[in-house]
Amino acid sequence: MWNNVLAVVRREYLQRVRSKWFLIATIGGPVFMIGVTVVPIYFAERGQQEARNIAIVDGTDVLYERVAPGFEAAGYTVHSVPWSADVMSGLRQQATDGDLGGFLMLDELTLQTGEATLYATDRPSAIRRISLESTVTRSALEYQLEQQGIDAASLLSGGDLRIEMLQEDGAGAGEPQFMVAYIGAFFLYMVILLYSVAVMRATLEEKTSRVVEVIISSMKPWHLLLGKIVGVGAVGLTQMGVWLLSGALITSAGIPMLIASRPDVSGLDEIQGLLPGFGMLTLFMGFFILGFFMFSSLYAAVGAMCSTDEEAQQAQVPVMMFLIIPIMFVMNVIQNPMTPLSTGLSLFPLFSPVLMWSRVASGASVPAWQVALSFVLMIGAVFAIAWVAGRIYKVGILMAGKRPTVPELWRWVREA
Amino acid sequence: MDDNGYAIRLRGVTKRFGKHTAVSGFDFEVPRGTICGLLGPNGSGKTTSIRMIMGILHPDEGSVSLFGADPDITRREKVGYLPEERGLYKKMKVLEMLTFLAEIRGVKRSQGRKKASDWLDRLGLSAWADKRADDLSKGMQQKVQFIGTVLHDPELLILDEPFSGLDPINQDVLESIVRDFHARGTTILFSTHLMHQAEQLCHRVCMISNAKKVLDGELKSLKAAERKGVVAVEWEGPDDWILGPEVDRTEEIDGGLHLFLRDGADHQTILRRGVESEARILRFDLVEPTLHEIFVRHAGADAVGDNGMPSGPHPGGA
Repeated sequence: MWNNVLAVVRREYLQRVRSKWFLIATIGGPVFMIGVTVVPIYFAERGQQEARNIAIVDGTDVLYERVAPGFEAAGYTVHSVPWSADVMSGLRQQATDGDLGGFLMLDELTLQTGEATLYATDRPSAIRRISLESTVTRSALEYQLEQQGIDAASLLSGGDLRIEMLQEDGAGAGEPQFMVAYIGAFFLYMVILLYSVAVMRATLEEKTSRVVEVIISSMKPWHLLLGKIVGVGAVGLTQMGVWLLSGALITSAGIPMLIASRPDVSGLDEIQGLLPGFGMLTLFMGFFILGFFMFSSLYAAVGAMCSTDEEAQQAQVPVMMFLIIPIMFVMNVIQNPMTPLSTGLSLFPLFSPVLMWSRVASGASVPAWQVALSFVLMIGAVFAIAWVAGRIYKVGILMAGKRPTVPELWRWVREA
Repeated sequence: MDDNGYAIRLRGVTKRFGKHTAVSGFDFEVPRGTICGLLGPNGSGKTTSIRMIMGILHPDEGSVSLFGADPDITRREKVGYLPEERGLYKKMKVLEMLTFLAEIRGVKRSQGRKKASDWLDRLGLSAWADKRADDLSKGMQQKVQFIGTVLHDPELLILDEPFSGLDPINQDVLESIVRDFHARGTTILFSTHLMHQAEQLCHRVCMISNAKKVLDGELKSLKAAERKGVVAVEWEGPDDWILGPEVDRTEEIDGGLHLFLRDGADHQTILRRGVESEARILRFDLVEPTLHEIFVRHAGADAVGDNGMPSGPHPGGA
């Protein structure tokens, strides 16, 4: 009896894993992720390299030593050029010859208003421009305050607002946790939807190609459904396994290498701090598996009650709402993870994968019993949904013709 | 005979779909070891009956037994079922798919694979073993489908319209395979609307029309019973001896005259009259009616479509 379930699992798994699309998505996924995260960082810095040799003409004699460190921190090499009447035309010539990336003109007006002009061969990026601008104004401000006997340097550099939480419960997510919670929730939504829809399509294909009658004559519909869900789920786990493994490889080997190779690029080591640990990954997988079981059963029922792709596209909307609603609440839940609304929504089994994940990943101290309860409720829901969906599936896969109405569906559930 | 003597037994089976009655009060049995034909026009209830035998549908009234018990999964595993609406996984390779079909019926993987290749050989499809199903022609797909039906050496074959869509050569191939299975002791039930096919193959036939059984029994005795009703005659001389109270109507068929006798009439009376008359009788032949004629006789000419093929009011199966 279990042999035929296994046969279905194996077929479903191998057919998918061997397909071109699986290969493309599985290998392409991480490549794409690296593409959109690491590569731009690398190249963004690189592009500015040529233009970094900057001459500073300080007409005030007091700003150069204040401005220079700021420019150096931004990755420029600077040297001072004394003021003279034809200094500008000389520097212009050097820049045109390619010996100089540009030059910065500082004068009395700079001291008064913070205004200055950077003659550059390459337009600096917006972020760099802001940082250079603040370097110049800050230097001017420092000088002015010092003239008044105020120690501006330590005041300006020492600024830091430390946050001490009075009540742990009220804590919304800090920025790193926010990213983990948000990206994780969205990823859960995506993979659950993706693989559940795959189950729906497989069901529909068996139905429209009429394969199903042969198969149903030799195994229980319920076993076919189970085999299908487990098979597709295993494909999902394989794919995510590959992604996680490559992710782990990138973080454990790739990022340190990147840091070593580009010491001038700041912020890379912070990325590592953002990555979820083993515990979080296990939790993530738990939410995926249970979420997938719940939604794939529902989607299988949808597939079974339809006869064409177009019909299924429409019929899946009510089911999809149960994935979209939690996504609409994600922001709110991450920012206010401990409110009764967040707690209640996250305990509703169909919302739990996205919302309970969001709460836990937001860094709030969600009581362990709530997480445990959500898992118990989800497991209960898996069985309840499987019972109902299995009955709809059983009747639906052999039905031809128009989609059943809700009362008809109810009759299927009762009579099957 | 108790239920164990029958591979299939239906008693008083009725199945309705909404207001439409697909099968009504159907009694039917298939003794073990026979080849049995379920005949009737499209929409007469053949497929619905077969689906009830396979436990895919459940009767609203009456009972269905398979090998003397409920048609549950353990009994269904002993059946090779070829549904009317056939389908294969389009993207799957032929041999893989056959192995899968064997596997879900409890055949070991390696064994199923070997059997499948043997069958592909036998039906001249071995070159296609690694092709995807949708690269195959319709006829080839149908042969593959048939192979999928028999890989687990079923005790009972249920074939719903197995000949439709096959060219004459492949119809013959299938016919000989069915005979082989029968020779090995397999019980076979097939449905068809092609009467001549049933005539060549069946020991027993069951005819249904408009959801009701019309006729049921052994082909030989059915034909013998019907034979006394029609006489073909040829003669020279006067024809006054022919018409008498025994003859209901006459019809010219194939150059000879067929006399259709009234119920209970004896052809001997006519013959005697002929011998005593001036006529020279050249031929006096009890005609064995074709199944088609028998069907028409019992179901009424209404059940016969324009093309001479029986057809029903509900085309398209069910």
